[in-house]
Amino acid sequence: MRRIDWLPWLLLSPTVLLLAIFVVYPALYSIYLSTQNVDPFTHRTIFVGWENYLELAESAEYWKSLKVSLLFTLYTVIPSIVVSLAVALALNAKPYINGFFRTLFLMPVAVSSAMAAMLWIFLYNPTAGFLNYVLSTAGVVGPNWLADPTWSLVAVAIATVWKELGFNVIFFLAGLASVPPELNEAARIDGANAWQRFWRVTLPMLSPTVFFVGVVSVIHSFESFGQIHILTRGGPAGATNVLVYSLYRDAFENFRSGFASAQAVILFAIILAATFVQFRIGQKRVHYA
Amino acid sequence: MAGIELQNVRKDFGTLSVIKGVDLEIHPGEFVVFVGPSGCGKSTLLRMVAGLETVTSGTIRIGDRIVNDVSPKERGVAMVFQNYALYPHMTVADNIGFSLKLSRVPKAEIKKRVEETARVLRIVELLPKKPGQLSGGQKQRVAMGRAMIRNPKVFLFDEPLSNLDAQLRIQMRSEIALLHRRVGATVIYVTHDQVEAMTLADRIVVLHAGHIEQVGAPLDVYRNPQTQFVASFIGTPPMNFVPAQRFPAASLPTKWNGSLKTVGFRAEKTAIGKSDGLVPIGNGRVRLVEPLGLRALVHVELGDQELVTEIDTLDAPSPDSEVPLGVAPADLFYFDQSGRSLGAPL
Repeated sequence: MRRIDWLPWLLLSPTVLLLAIFVVYPALYSIYLSTQNVDPFTHRTIFVGWENYLELAESAEYWKSLKVSLLFTLYTVIPSIVVSLAVALALNAKPYINGFFRTLFLMPVAVSSAMAAMLWIFLYNPTAGFLNYVLSTAGVVGPNWLADPTWSLVAVAIATVWKELGFNVIFFLAGLASVPPELNEAARIDGANAWQRFWRVTLPMLSPTVFFVGVVSVIHSFESFGQIHILTRGGPAGATNVLVYSLYRDAFENFRSGFASAQAVILFAIILAATFVQFRIGQKRVHYA
Repeated sequence: MAGIELQNVRKDFGTLSVIKGVDLEIHPGEFVVFVGPSGCGKSTLLRMVAGLETVTSGTIRIGDRIVNDVSPKERGVAMVFQNYALYPHMTVADNIGFSLKLSRVPKAEIKKRVEETARVLRIVELLPKKPGQLSGGQKQRVAMGRAMIRNPKVFLFDEPLSNLDAQLRIQMRSEIALLHRRVGATVIYVTHDQVEAMTLADRIVVLHAGHIEQVGAPLDVYRNPQTQFVASFIGTPPMNFVPAQRFPAASLPTKWNGSLKTVGFRAEKTAIGKSDGLVPIGNGRVRLVEPLGLRALVHVELGDQELVTEIDTLDAPSPDSEVPLGVAPADLFYFDQSGRSLGAPL
């Protein structure tokens, strides 16, 4: 009989244990809870089958949350990729300023989301805020960013893009560093201008990075919570009530654990589906060197 | 086909001067090889002709036009890079046709010309593949195809064979020579391999530390090196050098008085043995014998120096034996203090 080598198991056990306690068990438990009604005081549970899911399907509020979440993803992911790629290209072209500015752009990532959100509360203040002051110098009367239903989601999206920017810049800089400089030189000799070199050489070479950043950003955007909690609390009138925030309110304000768990399961399924779709699209478009 | 003229061309990177004033005229259709050790500036000079590096001062002309501020694309040059620089996300056909696509040549025409080029280079079956699926030699051909398809006035090669194995290098070398004969364009070819330089070039340009040491036909440079550097760089194994005072005064020419400092002689002209016709160099101890086949390299320790002779393998002495070395007077080269050739003794 072969002896079992216990050492790898021993070394893996802390990770396995932590994952099991904080990820696997809660995930499985929330699937279980989503089929139950939980009494907020006694924590007694009653099996209700699909009832929580059916209630969600019939809830206009929940469908609105879904729409808000999709819009939020749209408002954050695409601008975030475009802006961070532009910043990375600019930094890459001027290596001697790279170090300083890279740190500058990465700083928001290191700041806690609560701190960052407080900062934006000041910036967005309709009367004393810097943003509306800048607009007023151009003769524009700025909106009440966080209290106006047409602007609040955009305002939260801007704060989110700002915070995540540096993280993506780092990935794009790493991606750019791995593009051999001779490729751009060869393209210059072949007669490509700067724009053509970007579209036909640099961007295809960066496609794995764009893909990675895209997938991670979509997941992040669906899971955004901190800045929304502090900036708008899902308001005004549910304009920023994304799926996670709706889930949070049902779990910790309305004390409906089963109902909230059903939302968690659906959110999980949405993120899984979104990632799966991205991989399917990615297979065709992404070039791995 | 276009000539190229460099006038007092300089290149500084910050305070570091890499090209220190180069004057050179390359005739239309000529095959010129820049050769020199790494760091001598040969690649930088080539990249300046290509337009990939700016010119600090001086002028570069291609044809009748000063091209200092002309973009690479407008210069009518094509370049083959050392690591091929093929676009990994494009097929071989797209790689070769990329420049035509950029200049909006109709698709059918691109296809026709790509296939023509591929036929010349015998890579038709590779056209649908991606560069990642090719061997080194195949990538090299694709890179050449990409350069050829534009019918450029000038071909620039930057150490194109140094990533290939020895056998393939010899094969590709002869193909480049045939290609040049076929298209007749002006070629600048950079290499640190002096065999490539000797076999390919109409003229070779020996570069050293940012300036030109010597320009000339390969055999002329081999036979009449103007500096000690050229003498040591051109020819394998490198030329032997011995201080002049080692030689019996009577065996050396006297016309240069005190300025003669170093005497050089090639390994293949260094004889083992003594005879009346030979200038004696001294007795040395054989350290190593390297048989190459018909000939062998014999390393001989003479005082604090190691000299190399090339002789018939059958005549090679055994290691550790003592042997006398000698050279015919006509095969000696004479250099002054600064390493410049003093010319012929007569």
